[in-house]
Amino acid sequence: MLEVKDLAKRFPPRSSDEEAPWILADLSFHVGEGEFLTMVGPSGAGKSTLLNIIAQVDNATGGEVYFRGQLIETASGAALNPGWNCQIGYVTQDDNLLPWRTLIDNVTFPLKLQGRFDGAAKRRVDELLHATNLAGFERYYPHELSGGMRKRASLIRTLAYDPPIILMDEPFGAVDAQTRTQLQQDLLRLWNLGRKTIVFVTHDIGEAISLGDRVLVLSKSPAKIIAAHSITIKRPRDLGNLYKLEGFGDMFEAVRREIQ
Amino acid sequence: MSVAVLRALPGRRSRRRLVPLGRIALGIAFLALWQFGSNAMGATWLPGPVDTIERIWKLAVSGELERDTLVTLGEAAAGMAIGGAAGAALPFLLRLSPRLMATLDPLISAAFGLPKLALAPLFILWFGIGIPTKIVFVASIVFFLIFYNGLAGILSIDPRLVAMLRVAGASEWLVSREIVWNTAKPFLFAGLKIALPRALSGAVVGEFIAADSGLGWYIQNARSLNDTTGVVAGAVIVTVLVIGINAALKRVQSRSLAWRPVSRDMTI
Amino acid sequence: MPQSRDIGIRSGTSAPRPSFHLPRLAKEKRRLLIDRMIAVILVIVLWQACSTYFGSIWFSSPWRVLMGFIGELRNGDLVFNAEYTLKAAFYGALLGGVPGALLPFVLRRHPVAGAILDPYLAGGYGVPKLALAPLFILWFGIDLEPKVALVASIVSFLVFFSTNAGVSAVNAQYVNMVRVFGAKERDIARHVVWPGAIPYIFAGFRIAAPYSIGAAVVGELISSNRGLGFMINSGATDFDTTLVFVALVTLTLLVVIINLLVSRAERWLLRWRPPQQGMSARVVGT
Repeated sequence: MLEVKDLAKRFPPRSSDEEAPWILADLSFHVGEGEFLTMVGPSGAGKSTLLNIIAQVDNATGGEVYFRGQLIETASGAALNPGWNCQIGYVTQDDNLLPWRTLIDNVTFPLKLQGRFDGAAKRRVDELLHATNLAGFERYYPHELSGGMRKRASLIRTLAYDPPIILMDEPFGAVDAQTRTQLQQDLLRLWNLGRKTIVFVTHDIGEAISLGDRVLVLSKSPAKIIAAHSITIKRPRDLGNLYKLEGFGDMFEAVRREIQ
Repeated sequence: MSVAVLRALPGRRSRRRLVPLGRIALGIAFLALWQFGSNAMGATWLPGPVDTIERIWKLAVSGELERDTLVTLGEAAAGMAIGGAAGAALPFLLRLSPRLMATLDPLISAAFGLPKLALAPLFILWFGIGIPTKIVFVASIVFFLIFYNGLAGILSIDPRLVAMLRVAGASEWLVSREIVWNTAKPFLFAGLKIALPRALSGAVVGEFIAADSGLGWYIQNARSLNDTTGVVAGAVIVTVLVIGINAALKRVQSRSLAWRPVSRDMTI
Repeated sequence: MPQSRDIGIRSGTSAPRPSFHLPRLAKEKRRLLIDRMIAVILVIVLWQACSTYFGSIWFSSPWRVLMGFIGELRNGDLVFNAEYTLKAAFYGALLGGVPGALLPFVLRRHPVAGAILDPYLAGGYGVPKLALAPLFILWFGIDLEPKVALVASIVSFLVFFSTNAGVSAVNAQYVNMVRVFGAKERDIARHVVWPGAIPYIFAGFRIAAPYSIGAAVVGELISSNRGLGFMINSGATDFDTTLVFVALVTLTLLVVIINLLVSRAERWLLRWRPPQQGMSARVVGT
């Protein structure tokens, strides 16, 4: 569904005599339909930059990105089309809820913007709100909600308009451990309902293994894929008892060694 | 700022070169429009740039320009000195009694509410129409500006720093000098920067209302004689003075406050 | 070019003034209230003392001013004149503030035009508009118009720079986010830039409010036969200090009330904002 070929990126140097370091170089991977792909890498490896390029929020310095067979990004400097016509969803690290809109206004914002807020959409939004325990808080402003609730809202905001592929950039990073496990379970449950394609980036190895169908390991800067593992742990997975799951320990070790 | 603006512009170099050209073009267009308007409406209603400059030149030659400018500047300077000194000293004194500060808080708010310019006739009633009146007037304007800023500076002192110094055995005087003065200084400077042009325009406005000399008097006098050219010329002179002072201040400030990180907290 | 910090610091009357650490204990609150009442009484006593000692012609007296205030209210003069001043201030604020608030949005889409205008706007801001009052009077007559023009010229710059700061401070992450959702330029302006700039627009008006009243009064002082400025002037000319003080007190009240109203409106409109830190700081030594 999504194919990245030899992607490379560096930012323009600050002064004309400097050489800017490459953030991404020779990065290639593919994602299949309905796959939950996780990517692990050390912090600062350029994970956010990669997702920014795929989501068309930033442009590449080299390489290509294909979406459903169509070339959507090259280094040619062509104008960006963020979200590629609402086909690529993007859940960022910060929840980025618009602070002047209530919860419900935030969640329904993309749908209303795209003119797709009909009865069916409204029902879907209600289901999502209930599934994430946010029902009842519709009229609250973001600053009145807890961090975990804002994350959930940010998640269902993208799920609500149902893009075929969703990129996620360490969405559960800034949350405490308990809330994180809860959010992970929510995510898996929601993913089960629709089997969307998800590209989930994190620095937490355990999270990557427990959530994904396949794990890709990123190297330090300049980032490239150095390993790929298929996760054989059967779904549904008991996230509360990860470490007891079969095969988890070995996988964890393998990935950890690769990241060093 | 303009350099940063230029660099931040999207687009290629040709676009950036457009900007200085555009500015010059705009300036020329403005002058041309002014002159055209003057020709169309008659010089008695709108004297053109040429007439204005002619008049300014005449005033400069006759010495009137110098005399009136010095009067106004003198009033502004004297007012600044008095108002500024009082306005800067008071916060430091008030700081010594937190109880007094808290008590006076609403009264200070109310005092800020009054537009000081409205006090002009009262001052004239009390002090007559001579130069001292204008000095008092300017002093009152400047006092409030500097006081407000000084107060903000004093209130922004981190009490932990003070506590730390006291624990180390510092006397009140040392605390004042090191922390209080240094924290308040940028605020006071900011106040000064705002106050100086205000002082000047305050002196001019004071002269509008009652005076027998000074730039404001000249403008008001010209108006009463329907001497439009005089009014415009006077206005241009005052404008140039104020803008000149602003520019000079900016240069002084960037040098003396170089140590400060650019803070965004002193915002609205 | 004036930064938003210049605008914020110099305003002597805007709401987020440096505020004091308010006491929390009931006992402290009571003591503060008593202190304040004592302070007010002291001021009145001092006033009366000056009046008795120097002669009431210089200061009038608290009692006379109070009576005068009631009298002027009753005979309608005060309301009439206050209305005149308020009208000038209000219309001027609208006439100047609306274009001032809209211009940054236009310039955002045309950054080259913004860059070209930049020095002129900064220069225009530096021009002392009050000192140009006689010019306005010359051009627009002696009725309401020159005062409205004067107020508009002042308010427009204040609101412009404040709004501009808000438009420049637009959160790039929100813009990107909203683009991913399919927003076009107009949507971005409407849903991200505009709501984000509203606090700044409000701050601009809040700062401009006392200046607009002040400018209206100055216009009246120079040439008018109506308004609070006129009251002050005619009172001073007739040595009727009572009238002068009545007008001054009314002016102060007006400004305080307007500040309160604008703050109230702002708080309602901006109820989505997390509680602000503002410029409050603790009283040293407490």
